[in-house]
Amino acid sequence: MISTAGPVVVTHELTKRYGEFTALDSLSFTLDRGQILGFIGPNGAGKTTTIKILVGLMRPTSGSASIAGADCVRDARRIKRLVGFMPDTFGSYDNMRVREYLDFFGAAFGIGRRERTRRIEEVLETTGSTYMKDRYVESLSHGMKQRIGVARTLLHDPDVLILDEPANGLDPQARIEMRELLLRLADMGKTLIVTSHILPELSRICNVVAIMTKGKLRAFGTLDQIMQAIRQRRTFEVQLVEGTQAAAVAAAVSGGLDEAEQRSVAAHDAEAMVRFQTSRSDADLADLLGGLVRANLGVSQFREVPTDLEDAFLTVTRES
Amino acid sequence: MIAIFQREFFGILRLRRALVAMVAMAICSGLLVLARWPSEGLVDLSGSQARQVFRIFTYGMLAGVLLLAPAWPATSFVQERRRGTLALLFNTPLSKFAIYAGKLSGVLSFVGLLLITSLPAAAACYAMGGVDLWQDLGSVGLVLAVATVEYVAVGLLVSTFANSTDSAVRTTYATVFSLCFLSLGPHYFLQGQPGWMPLAAEWLRRTSPLPVLMHLVGQGSVGGQGLMEAGSGLPEYLFASVVVTLSVMAATLVQLHSGLFDRSRSQGAITDEQSLGVRAARRVFFLVDPQRRSAGIPFWLNPVMVKEFRTRRFGRLHWILRLVAACAVVSLLTTLAATTGTVDWGVETIGGLLVIFQVLLMVLLTPSLAAGLVSGERESGGWDLLRMTRLSGLQIAIGKLISVAWTLLLVLLATLPGYVVMIAIKPVMWLQVSLVVVCLLLSTLVTLAVSAAVGSLFSKTTTSTVTAYVVLLVLFFGPLLIWLGRDAPFGYDLVQAALSITPAPAALSVIGMPGFEQYELIPLAWWVAGGVTCFSFAILSARIWRLMRPS
Repeated sequence: MISTAGPVVVTHELTKRYGEFTALDSLSFTLDRGQILGFIGPNGAGKTTTIKILVGLMRPTSGSASIAGADCVRDARRIKRLVGFMPDTFGSYDNMRVREYLDFFGAAFGIGRRERTRRIEEVLETTGSTYMKDRYVESLSHGMKQRIGVARTLLHDPDVLILDEPANGLDPQARIEMRELLLRLADMGKTLIVTSHILPELSRICNVVAIMTKGKLRAFGTLDQIMQAIRQRRTFEVQLVEGTQAAAVAAAVSGGLDEAEQRSVAAHDAEAMVRFQTSRSDADLADLLGGLVRANLGVSQFREVPTDLEDAFLTVTRES
Repeated sequence: MIAIFQREFFGILRLRRALVAMVAMAICSGLLVLARWPSEGLVDLSGSQARQVFRIFTYGMLAGVLLLAPAWPATSFVQERRRGTLALLFNTPLSKFAIYAGKLSGVLSFVGLLLITSLPAAAACYAMGGVDLWQDLGSVGLVLAVATVEYVAVGLLVSTFANSTDSAVRTTYATVFSLCFLSLGPHYFLQGQPGWMPLAAEWLRRTSPLPVLMHLVGQGSVGGQGLMEAGSGLPEYLFASVVVTLSVMAATLVQLHSGLFDRSRSQGAITDEQSLGVRAARRVFFLVDPQRRSAGIPFWLNPVMVKEFRTRRFGRLHWILRLVAACAVVSLLTTLAATTGTVDWGVETIGGLLVIFQVLLMVLLTPSLAAGLVSGERESGGWDLLRMTRLSGLQIAIGKLISVAWTLLLVLLATLPGYVVMIAIKPVMWLQVSLVVVCLLLSTLVTLAVSAAVGSLFSKTTTSTVTAYVVLLVLFFGPLLIWLGRDAPFGYDLVQAALSITPAPAALSVIGMPGFEQYELIPLAWWVAGGVTCFSFAILSARIWRLMRPS
């Protein structure tokens, strides 16, 4: 068991170059115990490279990475004990039943026979796969294989789980089940690093997000922190009873904003709506709303447009 | 059909290994002719030297067809099915005949191109004189062309049945080699006897191009045991080959239907959960029930070894028992047929046949087991998972090698009862038999080491299996081609050196097989085998060490 104090995963100026091509450029971040880190980025952003360095399958050109104090390059044996890794390919073996498959990996991790039998039952239970234990691995559907893949990573009870695209290719039902499974693992105190292209899924389970493009870390932190960092202004919508009032409302809103923000004010007669962006505080916005109501301009709703991970991702990738 | 032909033909041509095969074919056929090209300014009016060159060229071309023709068709349908493109083809207006014809013509065109690269060497043979363009070169070309069509058709048929590309490759090679070599066995035993069985054996032999080619190059009496044959057997071979080819084509067309995709998933039936009656019945009928829940891997066993046994189709205990039983029966039947069928056969000939049977078995079986040990893991993504466990590279290598070695040893042991019968007939042979067993063990070791080392150099199982087959067949049967040219064109020393490359000819020499008894191959063959084995294991170790390191 690793210490509860201090960060679990630390990377410092991690760089990987293939000749002239830089796959990973000075990546530095830390992750605390029990957190779920969502690694997102377009194809070729450097996510898998980072993961492979973290699990000791790849050597960085420069920089360092450690998990629970164990250096990912020099302390490979400890890393293997600490980390459960699920690559984006399943790695199935023909003619093997699920229980035999897990038994093999349990034995390969040096777990004793009796303990192994118990652990197999446990991980099958955790991943909701007990009913598959006598099926042949190659006959499983993609979703079933993903769950067995997670079961395999849990066998030696690692503290950190690194899952490369666990929701890839899953149907909606299987995706929901996978999400619940990952949240259950976080509840068990595991630290998770998850890569995915399915951003709404990640936003629901991750408490920390890292956005990468072209080998560089563009944004890191909670979703709120990232939104604050990449978007200085919030978007608001004023819904009106009648579209004829839109111009009057737009003028009233502009009066409460500075010159730069005034350019973002847009009146939509057809939708009976005025949209604007501002960095004003909630108190200023309360005054603005009070003014609109007092002017009796037919305001029916005043709302902030929620921004999600997709917005953040698109903003960051466009900027980069 | 033309679209499929183009995709198949140009698809193969774009592969790097296709270029390697073409260049290798051109160089090898050229070297074969150069090896016996006259270097002195003397005219050979009898044409005997030209005949020697022609003989080597013919055997070399047959070896080329046997090694290169089956590799491409074997993967054709199975690869398409696994990639999902076969379903797309079935969804087009193309008939299954058009799909098949397109694939067949595409592969045949490429293999034809391979054979064309040997034309300069054939022209050089003809230029020496003493070789008739139509009678000799034309007939050889015709036999090789017919054999190529037959083997390509066999490869395509196997490809429709197989579940993976590597199993398709090894089944195709096993079938092609059985058609070419094993089909000669029954005739060897039964020739000259009355009844329908010798006749059937004679027709079985006609499916092999080897007797016709040997007759065409003037070695038709080899294996005839003094019996003369009327005619070259060319029309009979052409007839038999065309019948086999058409049957295989018809079977492939029957097999090509949407049922190819209709393979249900296993529901994981387990005997332990069946009723008492079913459990008892399965206990009786299956000595080792494949559907019984297996026990966990004990701490004293290498987990990789157990995994290898479990994942290999023939690695499961019930299959190993069947394989061993089949080998034991064949071994005893061979001895029984030899001892009761032809009274003037010596024990030496029987022993020689047993050795050939065992070596053939090893050469056919080992690459299919050992070539994919590393490449199979890399291809399936299992290698990274193994690297993430606590197992060291040495443990992985040992587990994998032992799993193959055990299987091979069991098969080898199962073929030994024939030798026991021989010692019972002629007790003084025990020393010879002991030496033969050592030679066979060394042969097994060489096949294992070479297959595993060659296979570890590639990341695709199909490539590693094909390459391992080619290397092993060249190692084990290349010297026999030189032996066929003993006295002329090759001298005693060269033949002896060539036969020392592997321990198999040494076993034939020790047992006193006619044609091998004059060569002194032990202990040189043993030393060479040891050297080859050590070198191969060194390559394998270096590869595994390299692959275990962070990339």
